[in-house]
Amino acid sequence: MDALSNLMMGFGDILTPYNIAIIFAAGLIGTVVGALPGLGPSAGIALMLPLTFGMPEASGLCLLTGVYMGTMYGGRITSILINAPGDAPAIITALEGYPMMQQGRGAMALGISAFSSFIGGLFGLLVLIFAAPVIASYAIFLGPPEYFLLMATGLATVMLLAGDQIAKAFLVTCLGVLVSTFGSDYVSGQIRFAFMPELIEGIDFVAIIIGLYGLGEVFYNLEKRVKLNLGKPGFRMKEFIPGKAELGEAAAPTLRGSVLGTLIGIVPGAGATVATFLDYALEKRLSKKPETFGTGNIAGLAGPEATNNAAVPGSLIPLITLGIPGSGGTAIMLGALIMFGLRPGPLLMTTSGDIVWAMIAGLVLANLFLLASNVLLIPVFVNLLRAVQGNLANVVIALCVVGAFSLAYSPFNIWIMLIFGVLGYLMKKNDYPTGPFILAVVLAPLAENYFRQSIMLGQGSAGIFLDRPISLTILIVMVLIVVLSILSQIRKKRRMRRAAVDGE
Amino acid sequence: MTFLSKAAGIAAVSLSLLGAPVLAEGFPDRPMEFVAGYGPGGGHDTMLRTMARLMEQEGIVDVPINVVNKEGGSSAVAMGYLNARKGSPYYLMSITSSHIATPLTSNIGLNYADFTPIARLGIDPELLVVNTSKGYESLEDLKAEGRMLNVGGTATGSIEHIVTMQLAEKAGMELNFIPFQGDGEVVTALLSNQIDFAITNPGPVGDYLSNDTFKALAISTDERIETLPDVPTFTEQGVDITISLFRGLTAAPDITDEERDALIDMVTKLFATEAWQKEYIEPNAVVPLVVTGQEFTDYLANTEEVYHETLDDLGMLGN
Repeated sequence: MDALSNLMMGFGDILTPYNIAIIFAAGLIGTVVGALPGLGPSAGIALMLPLTFGMPEASGLCLLTGVYMGTMYGGRITSILINAPGDAPAIITALEGYPMMQQGRGAMALGISAFSSFIGGLFGLLVLIFAAPVIASYAIFLGPPEYFLLMATGLATVMLLAGDQIAKAFLVTCLGVLVSTFGSDYVSGQIRFAFMPELIEGIDFVAIIIGLYGLGEVFYNLEKRVKLNLGKPGFRMKEFIPGKAELGEAAAPTLRGSVLGTLIGIVPGAGATVATFLDYALEKRLSKKPETFGTGNIAGLAGPEATNNAAVPGSLIPLITLGIPGSGGTAIMLGALIMFGLRPGPLLMTTSGDIVWAMIAGLVLANLFLLASNVLLIPVFVNLLRAVQGNLANVVIALCVVGAFSLAYSPFNIWIMLIFGVLGYLMKKNDYPTGPFILAVVLAPLAENYFRQSIMLGQGSAGIFLDRPISLTILIVMVLIVVLSILSQIRKKRRMRRAAVDGE
Repeated sequence: MTFLSKAAGIAAVSLSLLGAPVLAEGFPDRPMEFVAGYGPGGGHDTMLRTMARLMEQEGIVDVPINVVNKEGGSSAVAMGYLNARKGSPYYLMSITSSHIATPLTSNIGLNYADFTPIARLGIDPELLVVNTSKGYESLEDLKAEGRMLNVGGTATGSIEHIVTMQLAEKAGMELNFIPFQGDGEVVTALLSNQIDFAITNPGPVGDYLSNDTFKALAISTDERIETLPDVPTFTEQGVDITISLFRGLTAAPDITDEERDALIDMVTKLFATEAWQKEYIEPNAVVPLVVTGQEFTDYLANTEEVYHETLDDLGMLGN
């Protein structure tokens, strides 16, 4: 077991009081940063970067990866408590977690999601430790055609998020596509709808998320005078440590989410986000009670939460094996590796293997710390919310404004957030689903660019989708899913008709 | 402000009237700000942070240096920020090709000539890179394929795109440029042979060149470079392409010539240190071809001309 002995050496390097303290602090900082709306992994890693200058390489890297992991744990906290996802991968968490909060089961939602996060992270790490080179050697054969099909599949989950409001969902999806076209487009080089310089790079979707969910919710609650059901103040374990029943319900979705997150986390760009949406769709399909999705379904909470944590080690795989960053967070880590004097690339493991293994060992440790601290902190978070409940609207607005400002350190994004806050309020009031909108904003530009790259690679022919074995396989699976679901619909209708006939 | 520092301030002002060398000694007398047009962790940010750290460490300046990120609008936001600091010599902004391209493609009302160009610290040459498994040994081998070749690079209108267009025109090849987002995607596409060759900087492919996964067939510099002595230039192979990505620094508009010279003096001192070579130039595979002041301004003017022509051909010029 080569990997195992390497890992043990890594542990040997990091099990010093200094490094343990760093990893613990990194996890806590990451949790807090991730919990703040607008501050996600990229911001967390960037904020910590200057602190790592004086540190030994391994400690510095542990700090950065610990923060990265911590933000994924933290992102769910504000999603669940105040319906303000900190980052795109935490959107789905709000869909199921916030309803649980409203029903007074917020602490339990936090508990379940902490366990799912832990399992997801652990699974991803195991894959990273034992199979990174193998996975990377296959991953390079994925190209624009495969990415396009993946994004298209992600977009198709709009229909599952829509519930019974297909027309409304379609409308907001189109609106999302429109919003996503703002800014410069690297495929054609054209700049679209840039009425002011800030728009040249498009609208930051995190500002949209904060506005749509965080502010929109505040406006709506103010109008309806909603009071959160926080229950009695308490610190009893059984309120937030999931029992046998909850764990049983969460176990299978957590495992499925872990696998999906690790694999799709490798996809550059929106890997983690797409993975959470696909996993949510999968859980809804497999569920015996799909109608309970959106009202606090445990499977719908646990699966995607495992997914977004499994995506962290997943996105590190191309970074450490090929020197290719798979997400905003890992792109900043790439910069950090260079600053530490390491050379990210295919030879990183050979030339600086000791440091990389120490970093991986640090991640394993961080994941353990994060589970412990996140579970123990639940009563703190819930009671903190209770303490500010009277002024909750003000607190949330303040958090949203700070979060939006910090995206580019300029007031521009505060205005963007405000606009989408009003939009979010109007959508909620008139019962338009927000999920399809945000999914379109995140995925449409990726799907568009990958599609055009594919056609360009095919020198004008769409045959490229059929020529490549992996893309052909994905296409066949997609066709099968469509055909099977149409068949099952027909069968269902026939059965209902027969039942109606029998009843007469 | 204490009496002493006030007196020192007055002394500095009166001394500065005597000429540039004296100013260079007294300058900077208050904290400086380095402006990055992109976010933390990116190329601009890491370059400026390394500069700031080394300048303090090597004793080139004894005032604190703050690095600020004014990201947005492909450097347009940072340009606006620096333009609002007219006449103040305490700001240095990192610039690269977007400093030329963004004003051309979008109507922001500012261009390189509005600022005070200080120095080019080096260039990032463009390499033509193939996957070794395809067995191409020279530019001629690629031409001999006799079919339309797929070329990978970053973004339409980027310097990689310009090199590709020049290659097609000057070598009479049929090339199909595919814009990818970032170097990582270009490297992946070449690794799995989704493209026939890539135009890229040495940085992202360095390891792949040294382990013979990739082979560089041409470089866009005037002469071969020290770090890649076996890679022939385009010019050597009869194709006249000499355009590279530059990395440089510019200061706020309307500063005095003395202030400009003091800044030039400051950065040239840094570029001459061993620490700068070791901690920035080498790990980032930058070719340290330094030009300063007027010479740098002329270089920017030439670069703009090339960009203007190409972007015009592509229909990408702003109004």
